[in-house]
This record gives sequence, structure tokens and C-alpha cells, in this order.
Amino acid sequence: MIQASWSFGRMQTLGFAYALRPVLEKIYPERDEFLSRLTLHMEYFNTQPYLASFILGAAARLEQDRSCGLDVSTDVSELKTVLMSPLGALGDSFFWGALKPLASLAAVAVLMAGAWWAPFLFLLLYNIWHLRIRAGALFLGFKTTGDAGALMTRYQMAKRSRLFKSISLCLVGGILGMAPVWRPEFRLSQRLPGLLTLLTGLVVTLSMTALLRRGGSPLKLMLGLAAVCLVLAYLGVAA
Amino acid sequence: MFDSDTLYKILLVSFCGGVISLDRTAVGQFMFSQPVVAGPLTGWILGDVTAGLVIGTILELIWLLDIPIGTFVPADSTVAVICATAAAVLGGRGRPELSLLGFSILLTIVLAPLTMAADNVIRKWNTRLADFVFSGPGRDVPTRLSRAHLAGIIVFFVKSFVLYLVCIPIGAAAVRWFAGVPETYHNAMTLYTKLLPFLGAASVVRKLSIKTLDGFLIIGFLTAAVLGLAFHAHYVVIVLSAVCAGILGVYYRERRS
Repeated sequence: MIQASWSFGRMQTLGFAYALRPVLEKIYPERDEFLSRLTLHMEYFNTQPYLASFILGAAARLEQDRSCGLDVSTDVSELKTVLMSPLGALGDSFFWGALKPLASLAAVAVLMAGAWWAPFLFLLLYNIWHLRIRAGALFLGFKTTGDAGALMTRYQMAKRSRLFKSISLCLVGGILGMAPVWRPEFRLSQRLPGLLTLLTGLVVTLSMTALLRRGGSPLKLMLGLAAVCLVLAYLGVAA
Repeated sequence: MFDSDTLYKILLVSFCGGVISLDRTAVGQFMFSQPVVAGPLTGWILGDVTAGLVIGTILELIWLLDIPIGTFVPADSTVAVICATAAAVLGGRGRPELSLLGFSILLTIVLAPLTMAADNVIRKWNTRLADFVFSGPGRDVPTRLSRAHLAGIIVFFVKSFVLYLVCIPIGAAAVRWFAGVPETYHNAMTLYTKLLPFLGAASVVRKLSIKTLDGFLIIGFLTAAVLGLAFHAHYVVIVLSAVCAGILGVYYRERRS
């Protein structure tokens, strides 16, 4: 729920302080100190929402050490500032740029071939990874007091991002290669032979990719495609 | 224009859509809000899962890699898929044809900038929540923090709920109007629906690779084509083989480098 009150001005600031509040309440029984520490955590904060748990764990550990009177050399505000940008970039690249496409494309591949259970496959594939890392990062952050190196070593996110992106591309190829067995709603034509369906799909996709690379946006292409379909329908090709 | 049953369904979908949309930013992010899940779910609520599956699959591919980074707020694919599915099912009076599904997907082009604008307004407004926390005496900060943060959930819900409540009836009315146009337009929209997955695939390839003809794309394509055409393999086998081919390709590339 770290993003429940996300705003352009403060981003995840309130969410971070809200998540840390029960911990601070427990370790600082004295009201004034609790209030001063809570206010300290209301400084600007924004990172990838799942990996925020790592910083939360680290902040909780630093606060706990401080409340126990241990010599804390790391400043909690500094730690948050140092970690939030790199973890934001790492998390965006891994979760949004690699894991989500992989889970989605696996689901879309089986869905287009007729599997009704594809949405469950997507949720399973995505959440197994996401929940494992989200929960694990919280405890790892607490245990290592925010050692980003430990996070990188344990989850290998940069390496796995590359692997997942490559598999995702293979899955896109697989989806196109399965064109003759797509469910009827998606199949281009029931009359075309399998090989011709495959090649038509591949050529259409590559042409659209080339158009997108030349500065076209999906929205513009959606409109353009509708216009092309209308022309084809008038010519009797789409009948 | 709409009977009481349709109005009830619009309200029901708007409420459920509001809850599903919370998963997009405010609560959880377990990805229930992704088109591939939200589409079939909306279809199931309205009694036509197939419409939701078709629309969800297409919009999932098209919007898959439009991701939120920093202050960039992408188009809301959840609102798009739920509105398109509801418009198609309610406008198509139960069992919409493929052309109506295509037309309702076409309508989402209008929704993209609208949802982005709505999100921007809400996220600017949310700054007031932070101001509220600091507005009173220091001893009340914890209570105000909880109230302000949880109020954010209500704000996000209301934003989506209102969008659904406005867009679904308009979409359904447009689909009903389209159902009566000449056959040529229906043929065009049927073809459109069948071509959209290729646009989705192109959109994914463009974002995932710097090459138009990526090696991994070709490996996956050939694996699936050979297994499907020559061996008539089951689709699960084909998908798993494409995944294995990808893993082997990465292994081979790393060994070479």
C-alpha cells in the first residue's frame, strides 16, 4: 500500500512513513521521540514499489539499533537517498521490463491457442517471483542494514532481466509461429494454408515493428490499421 | 436508452472496476489489473468471458511495455480493457460479434489520453493529502498520516469509478449504434480484430529489442512453426519449447561472449 497516496509532489513519502509507523511506535515508547522519528521519515521518497520493502527493512533495522543505543554510523535519511534511485531503476527494469512481459506473453501464448486458464498462469508466474522478492527483500534489508550488494547477489536481477527479456522475445516469436493453431477469434483466415498464415503474420508484424521504430505510436497505428481495414473492406478483400 | 438490468450491470462493473483498478497503483499491485486478467474477469461478471479474453489479450499485448517510470503515468490499460469489454457485451446485447469487439477496442484510443489526464489530476490533487498531514499540531501527525494515506485509496477508487460510470454507457451506446451500420464496416472491424494481435506483437518487439528482426524472435518463431506445422504438437509443448529455445539461446550467447 506504499503508493496509496502517491502524488507528484511527495510521491511515496506518506506511504513509506505509514508503513514504518508501527515499527517506530513499538521501538520508541516515548511519544516525543516517536513523533520526531516519524516526522524525519516524511521526507521525499520514491522508488520501485516492490523494492521499497528492502529500504523499509533497512530503515527499521537502523531505527532499532538506534533505539537500543548501538553506535549507528549510517544516517537513515542518507541511506534512503542513496538506495532509492538505483533500486528504482533496477526494480523498474526487472519487474516492469522483464518479469511482467515474460508472465504476460506466456499467458497470451496459451490463451491465443485456446487455454481458458491463461489469466491464472499469468498471476501464478508473476506473483511467485514478485512475492518472493518483495518479502525476501524486506528481511534482507533488515538483516544487512541496506546492503544493496547482498540484494543484487541474492536475486541476480540484472542477469535475470536479460534472460527474461530474451525468453519473452522467443515467446513473441512462438506466438506468431502458432498462428495456424490460434483460436478462431484471432486466426487471420480459416482458408489460408498454415505456412501462408505464418508468413503473413510474420511479415505484418515486422512491417508494424518497422513503422513503430520510425516514430509511430501504438495509438496512431491502431487508427491507421482501422483505416486500412476499412479500405480493404470496401475493396471486398475483408469480406 | 438502457433498461434497468443494463444500468445495474453498468453500476456493478463500475464498482468492481474501481476495486480492480486499485491494484494498478494504490493497493497490492498483484497484477489483477492487467488486461489479460481484468478483461476475462469483466467478461465473467457480465456473462461473456470470451469477449473479455479476446479484448484482454489484444490490449495486454499493445500496452504491455507502457510502464510507469518516475513521474511518467502511462495510459490506463485497466480502464481501457474494462470499458471496452463492458461496452462490447452491453452494447452487443449478450453475445457480441467479433466486429463489435474490434469496434470497442478502437474506442479505447479516445480513452488513453483521457485516463492519463485523469491520473495526472488525481496525483496532483494528492499533494493536498501530504499538506493535510503537516497542517495541524505535531502530536496529531500519526493520526493524520494514517487518515491521509488511506484517503488516497478512496481518491483512486473514486477516480476509476467515475471514469467507468461515464465511459461504459457512452461506449455501450456507440457499440449499439455500430451494430446497425452496413456490413462493410463489420467486415472491416472483424479484420481489424484479427490484425490487432500483430500490432501488439510489434509493439512488444519494438520495446524489447533494438533490432526489428531479433535472433530470439526468429528462434521462437521457427521452433513454434516447425513443431506446429510438421509435428502438430500441443500448444503447451510449443510454448514450453519456445521458452527452452530462449534459455538455450541465452546460454549459447553467454558462452560465446
